[in-house]
Formats: sequence, structure tokens, C-alpha cells
Amino acid sequence: MDENKKIIRVLIIMCTMFFVIVGYLTYIQIFRSKKLMSNVYNRRNYEIEERTIRGEIFDRKGVLLAHSEKKGSLYERVYPYGALYSHVIGYNSRIYGKSLLESTYNNHLLRTDRYSQVFGMVDRWSDREKYGNSIYITLDHQLQNLGGDLLKDKKGAIVAIDPKTGEVLALVSKPDFDSNVSWLEDNWRSMIESQESPFLPRATQGLYVPGSVFKVVITAGAIENGLDEQTFEDNGIIVVDGKEIRNSGGKVYGHIDIKRALAVSSNVVYSTLGIQLGSERLKELAGRFGLGKDIPFDIPTNRSVFSYDIMDQNDMAAVAIGQGKIMVTPLQMGMIVAGIANGGNVMAPSLVKSIISPDDKNIETMKPQILYNIMEKDVAESIKDMMKEAVQNGTGRNAAIEGVSVAGKTGTAENELSVKQKNKEHAWFIGFAPVEDPKIAVAVVVEYGGFGGEIAAPIARRIMKEYLEKSKE
Amino acid sequence: MLGKITYHKPINMVVFVNIIAYAFLIFKDKPYQWHALLMYCVVVTMICTVYCVIIKKKLGEGYLFLIVSMLLSIGIMMIYRLNPDRGYKQVVWSLIGIFVFFTSYYLYQKSNKWHKYTYFYIAISVILYLITFVFGTTINGARNWIVIGSYSFQPSELNKIIFIFFLACYFKNPDKLFIQKFHYDENVKIIVNRVLLMFVTYINIGFLVFQREWGITALFLLIYLVVLYVYGKGKYFFVINLALILPVAIIGYKFFYHIRVRVETWIDPWSDILGKGYQITQSLFAIGSGGFFGTGLGMGKPYLIPEVSTDFIFSAICEEMGILTGAAIVLLYMLLFYRGIKIVLSIRSKFERIVALGITVMIGIQTFIIIGGVIKLIPLTGITLPFVSYGGSSLVTNFITLGILQAISNCDFSSEGEFNG
Repeated sequence: MDENKKIIRVLIIMCTMFFVIVGYLTYIQIFRSKKLMSNVYNRRNYEIEERTIRGEIFDRKGVLLAHSEKKGSLYERVYPYGALYSHVIGYNSRIYGKSLLESTYNNHLLRTDRYSQVFGMVDRWSDREKYGNSIYITLDHQLQNLGGDLLKDKKGAIVAIDPKTGEVLALVSKPDFDSNVSWLEDNWRSMIESQESPFLPRATQGLYVPGSVFKVVITAGAIENGLDEQTFEDNGIIVVDGKEIRNSGGKVYGHIDIKRALAVSSNVVYSTLGIQLGSERLKELAGRFGLGKDIPFDIPTNRSVFSYDIMDQNDMAAVAIGQGKIMVTPLQMGMIVAGIANGGNVMAPSLVKSIISPDDKNIETMKPQILYNIMEKDVAESIKDMMKEAVQNGTGRNAAIEGVSVAGKTGTAENELSVKQKNKEHAWFIGFAPVEDPKIAVAVVVEYGGFGGEIAAPIARRIMKEYLEKSKE
Repeated sequence: MLGKITYHKPINMVVFVNIIAYAFLIFKDKPYQWHALLMYCVVVTMICTVYCVIIKKKLGEGYLFLIVSMLLSIGIMMIYRLNPDRGYKQVVWSLIGIFVFFTSYYLYQKSNKWHKYTYFYIAISVILYLITFVFGTTINGARNWIVIGSYSFQPSELNKIIFIFFLACYFKNPDKLFIQKFHYDENVKIIVNRVLLMFVTYINIGFLVFQREWGITALFLLIYLVVLYVYGKGKYFFVINLALILPVAIIGYKFFYHIRVRVETWIDPWSDILGKGYQITQSLFAIGSGGFFGTGLGMGKPYLIPEVSTDFIFSAICEEMGILTGAAIVLLYMLLFYRGIKIVLSIRSKFERIVALGITVMIGIQTFIIIGGVIKLIPLTGITLPFVSYGGSSLVTNFITLGILQAISNCDFSSEGEFNG
């Protein structure tokens, strides 16, 4: 009977609707509940937090970087080094919430992870104060401290990475701010409105024109396409489509090969190479080296940008010398140079080494992972050789360390200020050491600092030297 | 004697759930809450007595009340946990509900002229709406409460039943209800009938929109469509009615600020989390905090949700008893729906079939609207969760419908042998 069939259909539809509800509930629980639990507006958290002593944070060697202290009836976060880790660990305020590692690892620091979430009852039975997990990060406090001293009042960033593991050894951003709650809550307004943007973690989110450090990327493209065999005639100036491109300081290098061109950072040669490579290959190179890709990291990062659709010859020339519409984060440049040092394999950058429970059990240890490959091993070897030359006999002389072979590349990136004023370029240096067995790779940028070889290279040198000397001990 | 106390009998499971819950509530905090023991005794005695009466007196379908008693128990324990005073009141309302349940059972069986009061149904529903309109008090933005002394009740709850009876009258002989005495052409008569049917339906909906009862509006519309789908003659008439929803929805969205707000907060409650999105986000926080097994009765913080014991009781249950209990509740409603449909299929009398179908669909859709609303599956509309939410008029109305369904399941209308479908 037609009528009964229809009734059965109604039954089926209704049952489906009920199953959709059950399915959606399960979806909320599995995929959304972590976010819901940690939402700042979820007032349930405050009470969990008040009964939890937030876990401590240590550097890779066990130096205490953050802990909680009882102030009155409540616990307050204390950062013994004030501003030094403000762009890595972040802050934890009852009023302004949490940032960076304090936010990403909140569940671990409060020990409300998977286990206790699924079996919600387990740890809510007792009213006793409970301890959170401790976190060991990959940074080396001595190196970080040195980085902070070296940049001091300059604006900029330092990124130091172990090329073989991807562990970040130093991550300095300046200007910074004291992340201790008492200072933070008093100065929040003025910080927000400050033109210096002290809240911007420059190392991971600052976007800069790369300038000549981008030439290492172009070099890889040139070698892969056999463009490194030729020699060039450098007259100090080249005219592309009616527009002049000059070498820095108007120098003329004459008859040179690509190795020498990288060492002296010849804009004439690299503009030519850019045009020879053409727009498709340039786009492919940029993509392969991570521009426009998200970096999976323990704290939020910005994507480096390569914003070209159609490129004319001028654009190709500009890109080849790291100018034009490309912007990179210091972290991105650090990963590129670490990738070269590691024979073409870029390791996934990591900031957290291990997580330890209050009863000293190892909960999680991060393992090195290859993120992507940017070049063949032999291409990497050639570039290493060229970068070594740049430090020995080129623009990067100030990065040289006695008794250690250093590879590097300087950059002096033009920007909106440098057009009007002298010595207002962004000073860049990327490099690694020792060349034969790279232990540390660095990227340094000093905003409006001037020449890369004069400003950034010495900073990189100190960082590498400090790390290598210590690791020898 | 001992053999009777086993898990084989479903009623024992209901009792068992109550024992666990109230034991927990009694011993959770010192000093022990002995009031909860009293609650337990009253609830269990009530449920067991009614169940025994239904079985012993052979009042038809036994499972309906079993399912409802489980829902009722969970509702009462949750309301008691949230607010003991409301818990007592809910028990009193349940007792009244049980009384109404038996009353409506006997009244429905006494008379077999229910299908003859068409005009009475129309008149009484309009009168009820007008009473609300004139004497109504606005509570929570909906002008649908009649307050007498310290009691308040919602006439629109009663109108649901009356509307279902009206639909049953109409579809008993589809399109042959009105103007049968006049000598018009048959086709004209059919059209006039259909127009009048839509007119009555939309009068109902108009009044409800006027009261800003969006949830119940949707409920009426869906009951109407389902009954029309199953019993309506002529495909086009159903399609036209279905198609009419679209312009109605668009007009509603364009001209009613309230509807727009609801849709917008449904799509993105996070942007105005302290304002319009507050209720739904608090509800989601509760559900997310519960996990699969819940925090335990009395150990979560469901009181952070506004209107937790009425509209948002499901979120509170999910937080403290877990998503698994939430899913179990949904499955209980599904079982109830299934039993209802089974009753529909087992009886012959068309009028009773339609009434039973209407009631079953009403419970099912109402459940979907409110649970879907609080978990952000569909836009949120304030409507009660049948048999679980706190509230006298909805509980009593639900027991009336249950009584009618019970009566229908045990009537002469049921077929003697197997129904040949």
C-alpha cells in the first residue's frame, strides 16, 4: 500500500536525521573539543588553571626559562629573563590570554591532554593542586642571550638552526617586551599603539625583501639548467628594457664566472641569469624553496610571498637580485641556508625538544623529519663551495672565523627608506659552518641597518663562533 | 522473587540508572544530601507504579512508557542537580503529567467522535491564540505565556495537539471536509478545500510568527508537510506546498530581524561571542568539555549556560554524562519514534492513524529541532526537549500526546490479526 510505503520513508528520513545528530556530536568531540576546551571564553578553563601549577619551560640544557610562582592566592607566570624569550615562549596573562608556546602547548602545560579529555572524570576527582608537564625547548640559552646582546637596540632578527635536525638553536626578534605579567598588563596599551611594533615576532612573522641573499636560490636554478658553465662580461651596469641595474657601489668586475659573481654579489650577472632562467623557472624555484608555503612550526609563522602572476624582463631581473615583489621571513631564509648546508634536504624546524610529566616520565620527544628537498646533493655541494668563496674572498669577509671554514652570503636589501636615505637598507647575512660538516646555520637581518657585510655578517660570525666553540668542549 | 530483579526487564534498567545517579548525588558532598533520596523514592515509585498499571491492566503498547520513563528520569536528575527547587517542581509536574496521561487515555477511548469536531478544533485554537494575544506575557522575547497567579502556561503547546487533530479530520477523507453540502463542481470543491486547509495552517503559522515562536513555527510546518506527504491526494499539491517554503523562508529572513540574527549566529557565533553568540557558544563549550564519558553528575559546570534547564538541557547532559549519554538519548527518541510508527502501521482506522502519525512526527521533529539547535547543526530556536526539559506546560502536553498514543495503540481501531499492507 502506497500510504505505508510513505510512512516507512518518513521513518527512514527521521532516523537518518537522528543519526546525523549522533554523527555531528561525535565530530564535535573528536575534532573540535580541543579547540573548544582551550577557547579563551570558555570559563571552565579558569578553574582548571587555578588548581594547576603550570609546567615549567627549560632550554635544551635545562636552564629554567619560565615557571609559576604563587602570588597571593593565585599562581603567576614568571620569566627570569624578562624580554629575551618574549617572541618564543610568549606570555600568559589572565587578562590578555596566552601567546606563542604558552598558547600552543597550553594543554601540555596544564596537563589536560588527550587522556584526561577522553576520560574527563579521572583528574577532576580530587581538589588537590595538580602539576602540569614541563617542556624542554631546542633553544640554547647562551646563544639566545648572545643574540639578544648583539642586536640590542637594533631592530631585526636572528635565526640559528642545526641543519641536520632542524632544531632551532636561537630565535631572536627585536624589539621585544618584558613578558612578565606585571609589566605586560601595565604597558599593554602603549605597546599595542607603538610604531615599533614590539609585539611582532620578527624572526617568524616579519616579512623582508631578501636582497642579495636570494642569489643563492638563483644560483641553484642556474646550476640545474647548466647556466653556470658560461662566463660573463660585467661592465658595472646593465640595461633591461630601458631600466638600468647597477652593481652595489657602481663597481665593475669585468670578465667573471658565476662563482666569483656570487662572491662579489654582482647584480649585473644575476640580472642576466634571471632573464635567462625566465619567469616559469623563477616561479618554480621560489615555490620549491618554500615561498608561498606554510611552515609547520610550534609557533605561528608568516608565509613568505612571491607575488607575481605575469613577469616582464624587469621583474625577472629584479627577482634574481632579491628585489621586487618578494618577501621572506628570517625563519624561511634560515631554513633555506640550513637546507643547502644539509645537502638539499630541509629539516622541519622544531622548537620543542621533549615534554616531561611531573613524575619525570618522557611523554613526547620530537624526532627530526625531512620537510622537503630543495636541490640535488651535487648542486648543494657547488653552492657551498661558492658561498665559502664569498666569505673567504668576497662580501662576507666579516663572517670569517679563524680555523673554521665558513660559507655565507650577504644581502643589502633596498626598501622604502633606503631610496631616500643612505645606509637604510636591510642588512642580511645567511651562512653556516663548518662547511665540511655543518653544525649551525644562521640567518641574520637588521632592519634599516645598512650593508649586510658590515652589519649582519659580524653578528652571524659571533653566533657561529660561540656555538662551535661550545660544542667542541 | 529475586528472579524478577534482573537486567532482563527493561524497567529494572530505568531503576538502576536512577539508583546510580541519586547515590552519586547523595554522597558527592558532605553533608550528604538526603533530599536526593526522597527524590529517588518518589521518581522510582511513580515510574514503577505506572508501568505496572499499564502492564497489569493491559493498556496496550508497553514500550512507549518505558522509553519515556528513562527520558523523564534523566531529565529530572539533571534538573535536580542544576537546581533542586526546580527538580521538586518537575517531579510534581510529572505526577500531574501522569494523571493527565491516564485521563487523556480514558477520555480518548470513551469517545469515538473525535473526527467530528473539526470546526471546534479550529475555533478553540484561534481562541487560544487570541487569549495569548490579549492576556499574554512576554518571557524571553516570546509573547506566548499566560500567567495565572504564580503559574504560567503556554497555549501554543496545546495548539500542537489541536492542530494534529484538525489535520486528521481533514485527511480522513482528503479534500472532502468543507462545503460538501453545496452543489459545486467536484474540482472546485477540491480546490476550495485545499485552499481552506492551507488557510488554517497558515493562520496557525501566522499567529506563531507573531508570537516569535520560531521553533514551534517550524514544527507546525513540518508536521503539516509530513502528513500532507503521506495522506495528501495529488502530487502537485504537495509540491506546491513544499515549494512555498522557500519564499516564506526568504521573506522571513528579509523582514524579520530575529530570524536573520538566528541564521547569522548559527553561521558564525564566534564573532559576537559575548553578545548574540553567547548562548550557543556556551552550549558548545559544555558539550566539548564533557568528553565521551562526561565529567560526572554534579562535577561539571553546566550552570554557565544560560537557560540550561529548559532549552539547553541536552548540553548539560552531554557535559556531565558525556557524549555517549547524549547519543543514547537521541537513540531513545529514535526508538520512541519507531514504536510510534509501528503503532501507526498496526491500526486500520484512518483518523487514528493520522493522529498517531502526527504525534509521533511531532515528538521526533521537536527533538531534532532542539538538539540540532544546541549543537549548532541547525539554527537555534527555543523549544523544549520532550519529556526532558524543565517546564510544566510542555511536560503536561507531552503526557497528553503520550496518553492519546497509548489509547490508540490499545483500541478497537487496531486490527485483529496481522495487518495486510
